[in-house]
Amino acid sequence: MPKGARLFFMLTILALGALAWNTPADVGPTYAIRNAKIVPVAGPVIEKGILIIRDGLIESVGPSDKIAIPEDAEVIEAAGMAAYPGLISAHTNLLLEEPAAPAGGASQAPLITLMGGAQPSTPPGTPEVLAFGLLKPKKSVLDNFLKAGFTTVLVAPNRGIIQGQSVVVNLNGEDPEPMVVKSPAALHINFTTNRGGYPSSLMGTIAYIRQGFLDAEDYALAQAVYAKNLKGMKRPVFDPFLEALLPYIREKKPVVFQCNNAEDIKRALKIVDEFKLNAMLSHLNEAWRDAFVLKKTPIPLLVTLDFRPPSGSSFVNQGEDLRKKAEAETYPANAGNLAKDGISFALTTFGLNDGSTALKNIQGAIKAGLSKELALKALTLLPAQYLGLAAQLGSLEPGKIANLILAKGELFDEKTKIDKVFVDGVQWKF
Amino acid sequence: MKNPLIFFVFAALAMAASFQPAFADGGNLLIKNGTILTVTQGIMAKGDVLVLNGIIRQIGENITPPAGVKVIEVSGKFVIPGIIDSHTHIALAGTNEGSEAITPEADVGAVINADDTAILTALSGGVTMAHTMHGSANPIGGPNVVLKMKWGRPSEDMVVTEALRTLKFALGENVKQSSRTILPGGPPPRYPQTRMGVNAIIRREFLRAQNYMAAWDRYHKLKASKTPPKILLPPRKDLRLEVLADLLRGKMVARCHDYQATEALEFIGLAREFGFKIAAFEHAWEAYKIADELVREKIGISVFADSWAYKMEAAEGIAYDAGYCSKKGVLVSINSDSGERIRRLFNDASKTMKYGGLSENEALSLITINPAIQLGVDRIVGSLEVGKQADIAIFNEHPMSAYSRCELTIVDGAVYFDRAALLREREETAKKAEAAKKGGRP
Repeated sequence: MPKGARLFFMLTILALGALAWNTPADVGPTYAIRNAKIVPVAGPVIEKGILIIRDGLIESVGPSDKIAIPEDAEVIEAAGMAAYPGLISAHTNLLLEEPAAPAGGASQAPLITLMGGAQPSTPPGTPEVLAFGLLKPKKSVLDNFLKAGFTTVLVAPNRGIIQGQSVVVNLNGEDPEPMVVKSPAALHINFTTNRGGYPSSLMGTIAYIRQGFLDAEDYALAQAVYAKNLKGMKRPVFDPFLEALLPYIREKKPVVFQCNNAEDIKRALKIVDEFKLNAMLSHLNEAWRDAFVLKKTPIPLLVTLDFRPPSGSSFVNQGEDLRKKAEAETYPANAGNLAKDGISFALTTFGLNDGSTALKNIQGAIKAGLSKELALKALTLLPAQYLGLAAQLGSLEPGKIANLILAKGELFDEKTKIDKVFVDGVQWKF
Repeated sequence: MKNPLIFFVFAALAMAASFQPAFADGGNLLIKNGTILTVTQGIMAKGDVLVLNGIIRQIGENITPPAGVKVIEVSGKFVIPGIIDSHTHIALAGTNEGSEAITPEADVGAVINADDTAILTALSGGVTMAHTMHGSANPIGGPNVVLKMKWGRPSEDMVVTEALRTLKFALGENVKQSSRTILPGGPPPRYPQTRMGVNAIIRREFLRAQNYMAAWDRYHKLKASKTPPKILLPPRKDLRLEVLADLLRGKMVARCHDYQATEALEFIGLAREFGFKIAAFEHAWEAYKIADELVREKIGISVFADSWAYKMEAAEGIAYDAGYCSKKGVLVSINSDSGERIRRLFNDASKTMKYGGLSENEALSLITINPAIQLGVDRIVGSLEVGKQADIAIFNEHPMSAYSRCELTIVDGAVYFDRAALLREREETAKKAEAAKKGGRP
């Protein structure tokens, strides 16, 4: 081979190699969305703007006359449409391997299981379980929630009392790994009972949770003392259950309590206070009844859009007429009432298995008194903040993950159709 | 439903649940011209009770209402202290932690349910306070809680913090039955299955509690010593044993579900051996056999009036139990053990006049001052006395009469049940519904 030819060959190999590091498959597309009304949530609305997406992130966003459209961009003409950050549901049981257990806890268990007619199907506590390991994304579920504008969800394990640790995912496909935004996100605890075993009652459950944290504190102390006395101290016995609780006791990572009714909220607050946990409260469709307590606490609230009154509630045990009325009028007003009391919260789809129901219920909450602006914030920026993801998600700002919606009309209006959804900078194909 | 009258009452109560009581005026009231049954300080044929800020300030004749204080005219009616139910299970999310035999960590105070309509039912029978308890599935159940019947208020407002801390024990059939597998595929059989096993397991737990207390004492001693060991870890904090330790330290008292005299005596033996206090035996159908022992040990009983022989271990129960034991000097209360019977405790108490020959006032004591003493709240409620909390019920006849019914129930000086107002509200609701139907709307 002549010298020149050899050099050319080597350069070609190098060039190919370089391409291999940067194959088109790894580089996301570049889009320029133009002439859209842009609602960044974090800043003022841009009536006619351009938003550039490059390689999964928002590259720039601004008024049409200030932003240049890059040559390599695929231009999306969006006149008459509005761009919003993708919606975030900060607590779901979606995408899990097993079918979701009914929300609402023990009180909804059939009588025969309450009487001890069934063997326990899961141990009451599995803090070591990671929701990531249980992810089984299905296109139908992704489509369903993306159609409603949800691009990010927190997926929590849903079995037992101390249920395990959740994962935050972008709804970008069916492979779990590239979906993950944060894992583990939080530890999840539900005020439910163990069917057939200990604890079979709510009071037992509360004791079980408290004893779990007490033991974790003991374990943390023993570990700390051992670390200082490696020589001369018998090592503490390894315990995977307590090991999994350590980050939530020592590093104060977030613990989410699923509060299925007004009383559960106060039960959770007592435990949070006893163990000085960094907590969030979830479910909360009766939160307005405890506004006088919640006003005084800075604990983030993840309020579900599920308007079904919990069983045992005074809205249920006085006949079907009152229950129906409560579901149609009282529970939808929950979010609006909290807002009136100056209480911040994120909205979630917890307990709902259908994106369109979630969207309909957002409209219901707005009709019952919640402002559209707050509703949007409660589904974007606030959950991002609560989940420690405000740098990456929750608003349309340069550098953030390009999760966004293009809607024909104002989001949350009944007639509005969501036209396009982008997740991690890629337009989703329904 | 068999009885239309019962249906009517239930329908009225169900409607009433949506009714929010008019919280009278910061607990200021003047009850005027009633027959005042103070229970502890005699009867005033025609008198007034002045309540300020939820406290009884004056009982007498012709009291002039201070400016702005609402006057309730009750001439011809009977004013009594609010009725206290010494043993029930209302207003809870769950009654038994039945999966294990020993569960003192399962505290009913942690699972109060303010939405339970039984609170309103209780008020309709003049009940203002209830000792709501862990069930009887376990030899050692859990701590109980005393609640005021403040329907419509948050649960924490109902808790009576002045009351004794009580721990539920249970002996006999209920415990044994709970240890069996009833349904196929149910939980495996549980120890204990016999009465001797029940006594043994309770004894075993107290021995464990003693060891636990000793381990902590040792730890505190070492920690406080001049030369503590270099490596010193505290014992495991055990919620189950913490509660038993509190009982042994005298910070709690035992309330023990018991039917038969023999096992009551055995339990008294345990109390002596381990040095804890029994406040009362529950149901105690054979208390009449051991009245002298109960008096000697200062143990009360909390019983039904006349519903004996509904199961084998109640076979030797007699309707004279409450009356006879009262006369012997045992501190007796009549309880409901139920969210329904709670509204007619006054009827049950009056039966001790027929069975046992108690006077009207003695019978009334069984549901007022006596349960107050059993719960350690007789300083604040249980009778109409100046300085006590204004928990008051107003009846149309003497409450020991079979024709009596409660018209008004007041807790901390606020009206929580007003029969007339409720009936009005019910009629209006019915009218509205009728009008809506005629108007073609749903």
